[in-house]
Amino acid sequence: MSIKIALAGNPNCGKTTLFNALTGSNQFVGNWPGVTVEKKEGRLKGHKDVIIMDLPGIYSLSPYTLEEVVARNYLIGERPDAILNIVDGTNIERNLYLSTQLMELGIPVIMAINMMDIVAKNGDKIHIEKLSQKLGCEVVEISALKGTGIQQAAEKAIAVANKKKNAIPVHKFQAELESVLDSIEDKLGNDVPEEQKRFFAIKLLEKDEKIESQLKRVPDVSEEITLVEREMDDDTESIITNERYTYISSIIGECYTRSKRDKLTVSDKIDQIVTNRFLAIPIFAAVMFLVYYVSVTTVGTWATDWTNDNLFGDGFTFFGIDIPGIPVMIENLLVAIGCADWLQGLIVNGIVAGVGAVLGFVPQMLVLFVFLAFLESCGYMARVAFIMDRIFRKFGLSGKSFIPMLIGTGCGVPGIMASRTIENDRDRKMTIMTTTFIPCSAKLPIIALISGALFGGAAWVAPSAYFVGIAAIICSGIILKKTKIFSGDPAPFVMELPAYHMPTLENILRSMWERGWSFIKKAGTIILLATIVVWFASYFGWVDGQFRLLDTLELDHSVLAALGSSVSWLFAPLGWGNWKSAVAAITGLIAKENVVGTFGILYGFAEVAEDGTEIWGTLAGSMTAVAAYSFLVFNLLCAPCFAAMGAIKREMNNTRWFWYAVGYQTILAYVVALCVYQIGTLITTGTFGFFTFVAFALIIGFIGLLIRPMKEYKTTKSKSVAGAK
Amino acid sequence: MMPLTMMKAGEPNVIRKVGGKEETRRFLENLGFVTGGIVTVVSEIGGNMIVNVKDSRVAIGKDMANKILVG
Repeated sequence: MSIKIALAGNPNCGKTTLFNALTGSNQFVGNWPGVTVEKKEGRLKGHKDVIIMDLPGIYSLSPYTLEEVVARNYLIGERPDAILNIVDGTNIERNLYLSTQLMELGIPVIMAINMMDIVAKNGDKIHIEKLSQKLGCEVVEISALKGTGIQQAAEKAIAVANKKKNAIPVHKFQAELESVLDSIEDKLGNDVPEEQKRFFAIKLLEKDEKIESQLKRVPDVSEEITLVEREMDDDTESIITNERYTYISSIIGECYTRSKRDKLTVSDKIDQIVTNRFLAIPIFAAVMFLVYYVSVTTVGTWATDWTNDNLFGDGFTFFGIDIPGIPVMIENLLVAIGCADWLQGLIVNGIVAGVGAVLGFVPQMLVLFVFLAFLESCGYMARVAFIMDRIFRKFGLSGKSFIPMLIGTGCGVPGIMASRTIENDRDRKMTIMTTTFIPCSAKLPIIALISGALFGGAAWVAPSAYFVGIAAIICSGIILKKTKIFSGDPAPFVMELPAYHMPTLENILRSMWERGWSFIKKAGTIILLATIVVWFASYFGWVDGQFRLLDTLELDHSVLAALGSSVSWLFAPLGWGNWKSAVAAITGLIAKENVVGTFGILYGFAEVAEDGTEIWGTLAGSMTAVAAYSFLVFNLLCAPCFAAMGAIKREMNNTRWFWYAVGYQTILAYVVALCVYQIGTLITTGTFGFFTFVAFALIIGFIGLLIRPMKEYKTTKSKSVAGAK
Repeated sequence: MMPLTMMKAGEPNVIRKVGGKEETRRFLENLGFVTGGIVTVVSEIGGNMIVNVKDSRVAIGKDMANKILVG
């Protein structure tokens, strides 16, 4: 029979490091059912029958955050065989608050005091025998980072799980409270197992509504609540919280000896510089510049160019041996086995080229992810959210929205996934909807094409694209905040800042890989499927009444061309109503850089450079500069590629919200592109038509939405945990 | 009693009352902002502050810091 051990602890207590150390590579990462909270399970190294469950980091078992609800539903509903409670030794008082609650669950508990290496370095002492006696569970000292004591902790957890020695809480509240709890326990009767009675009694006294769904019969405890609240002049939940902290304060003196030292820790000193009111923004800008410079313009570009030109291109030389590129290799193989022509075309030009183009971004993204993982695990990212909050709050977003947008400059998929760290439901949804407005690296070739073909490579085009993206985010924030679904006061900013520390290489690489892998998986599934569909649509069609496989240069007879022609009228008011542009925009949905390749094929080149130099002349002849800019704006802002749409759907965790997001993005793109073209044309040529009038009407409407006053809507309480059940 | 935003960096203060919306108040209480607890301001930018409470650093926005009364 297998044993399940749950790891529980505060955020930033080193839980994930311990989990990685205990399980190695035997991990299964998924989501908790129905919510976008990550669920990690793994097998203990050297024990096939022991499963370690990494619960989300929580401060309490209260019902206020998604993580808390997920963790406690697991602990109550699935009842693991033991809980390994990780306690940050450098922050013991606050961490013990959760421990007192875990002890009440009636599950065997082992407490592991983590970061003992730092505690020892500070010269502090934790008296574990005393702590064990005062809390009622065995206590071990560990350092997850150094790997000391962790095996012992796991062994102890297995031992208590086998003995089924349920934890019996030692801590008591004051007498009046205890007698009330006793009477509630009696009311619970036989519905609840003896060892869980105290937990449920406390939760009922705290008026915890979410706990009622866990009970077969909910006893009426309003009498007890009124009694306690009258006697102690506070609400029951605050009373219990205070009682727990009072108990911890009363024992902490015996359990913990603090050495005499400076009042300010090293982290405090770093914070005084890094979050200083004058230095914060310059330091932040310098860090971001460095990250961006290295991962996007130098190392990242080298890596991506190498992949695109060599690995997925003409091949490369490795220690003097010529190795052909993957497409060539596959083509040779297909020719050798005598594969049918159309299938060869599908595999080489469709799948390998399509998926390869997407995978080409992987090296660049991995470099970016290394930096982000470092910034996250050393503790700086939390400060960034704090510094940016002041600015982001002005347009209805939280400081935590900055991180997804930053990652989104590399790729929207991990960017959207990074929005998970935002607890507030409304802030998170708004971040998911706006993150992809920032040009990701796949949109850069489109920018290069338009700027090269129609603006003679003018230096302002690329920065203007970022400016359009940022403006779209700011305006969307302001407009959406005033709509009914996003209404209400923004959640106040409260966030624990972890102590600064040097992350381990292993953790950085692991985090990089987890994010990168989720992107690669996307390329292997949704993008693969989409490339096959588009390939068929572009290489099959009717020629002289006959449906057949087309030659590369017959693309204008294809199904895709027919589709493009049928929707191109839609884009006429935007200035690019020809079917070729429409088709290019459609293929951009698979991967944005496809836009350039599609134009290449449509203008009769089998293959074009990344920025499409070959077709600059033709493109310049087919549309005006204003129309081209409108095309660029539309492609920057409209629904992102399928991979990113998939990420939006997953993170929204709700089909309706997914359509809201994609619909909003596309409508906004259409409106902005229309205004750009119509107003631009009016200025450059003086033509005033029906759509110029529409454009002015839209602009007035847009400004109206921006400046309209905030309406008061009745909002339902605690939206952020609504989806938890 | 004064709001936390009035306090200077480096001085320990005793928390007298935590106000604000229930959800946020609970969250702050869980983090250690309980009546009678000690809170020290580490740094402050434009009203947003980083404070030290029970050995951990917590960043709080101006609107929330205004609702924590110390004295």
